Amino acid sequence: MTVVPAQQGGSGGTSGLYDVLELVLDRGLVIDAFVRVSLVGIEILKIDVRVVVASVDTYLRFAEACNRLDLEAGPRKSPGLPDLVGEITESGARGKSKGALSGAAQTISDAFQQARDEAEPEQRPRTRRTAARRKEEQE
Amino acid sequence: MTTYIYGIAHRTHAHLPEEMGGVGDPPRPVRTVVQGELVALVSDAPEDLRPKRRDLLAHQSVLAEAGAGGAVLPMRFGGVSPDDDAVKAALAEHGERYLERLEALEGKVEYNIKAAHDEEAVLHQVLAESPELRALSEANRQAGGGTYEQKLRLGERIAVAVQQREARDAVLIQRALERAAEEERPGPQSTGWLANLSFLVARERADEFVASVETLRKEAPHLVVQVHGPLPPYSFTD
Repeated sequence: MTVVPAQQGGSGGTSGLYDVLELVLDRGLVIDAFVRVSLVGIEILKIDVRVVVASVDTYLRFAEACNRLDLEAGPRKSPGLPDLVGEITESGARGKSKGALSGAAQTISDAFQQARDEAEPEQRPRTRRTAARRKEEQE
Repeated sequence: MTTYIYGIAHRTHAHLPEEMGGVGDPPRPVRTVVQGELVALVSDAPEDLRPKRRDLLAHQSVLAEAGAGGAVLPMRFGGVSPDDDAVKAALAEHGERYLERLEALEGKVEYNIKAAHDEEAVLHQVLAESPELRALSEANRQAGGGTYEQKLRLGERIAVAVQQREARDAVLIQRALERAAEEERPGPQSTGWLANLSFLVARERADEFVASVETLRKEAPHLVVQVHGPLPPYSFTD
């Protein structure tokens, strides 16, 4: 069963749930004597490349992006970005105000919400992360 | 009946979430196995345990609850012991090391930080820093975007500059955040962010840590920085 797709459709975002659960699956104490549940079929370890990859596609994309850039205007951000950042910070802050790790559960439920939101690209402004663009081009 | 193990705490831990629903459907109730100074947080393991979303979340939730009441060494998801006695044997065998880690993690939580570039902003920076790249870009623009070769030549140079920034920014992020943290570890490798770092943060300094992330965001607006936490200290168990 596929648990957490690392990428959701064509939304250009990634699942926040995945970003936390990779720790649950990849970090944490292991006792050698115990059997570990098989992770076969789980796609959570899928490589999701966000860093710049040296390729002709990337070169052309950058050249065209530069052509469109308005250097006088200064760096602009997509309108969706501050909201996204705000949500995540807020969930961290809520956790803290409870003074305990119970905030982590909140983070996870926010992550679910985020994953759901991102599954509906029409309702969410695009962020302009490197990978977001990259995925667009691939589609 | 096999035993599923969530985490390990000191015997004096006051608020272990016994009876809370754990892994499985229906959720198996959480209970404890005591051995010497240590207590393991366990439940029966469902026969067909698989890494399903609800089970991953159950594992995480049990640890989050337990961590709220004191230090807990979180297990990686999916550790199954043949029975409770084998859990006791493991606690007895490695007890000293677990106690040492519990002491080190007392009052501390993990924050995981992931960062990527905002593409438009980073391209702006790269062009702003290099008169040469600006000139190349301007020449292409005036030629209606440039030929395929011109675009490739510009794009390749830009990509190199962006990659250099990725490396620089990874260091910048680490330096900006490490001051408010006790320890740091690299996050899982496969995900390809320009930075994926976990920080161990003392609870009383969590505000300071989150504030340092905010400062970083303001000072480096070309970075998209995600904060996940507070979390059980998964990355600091050894």
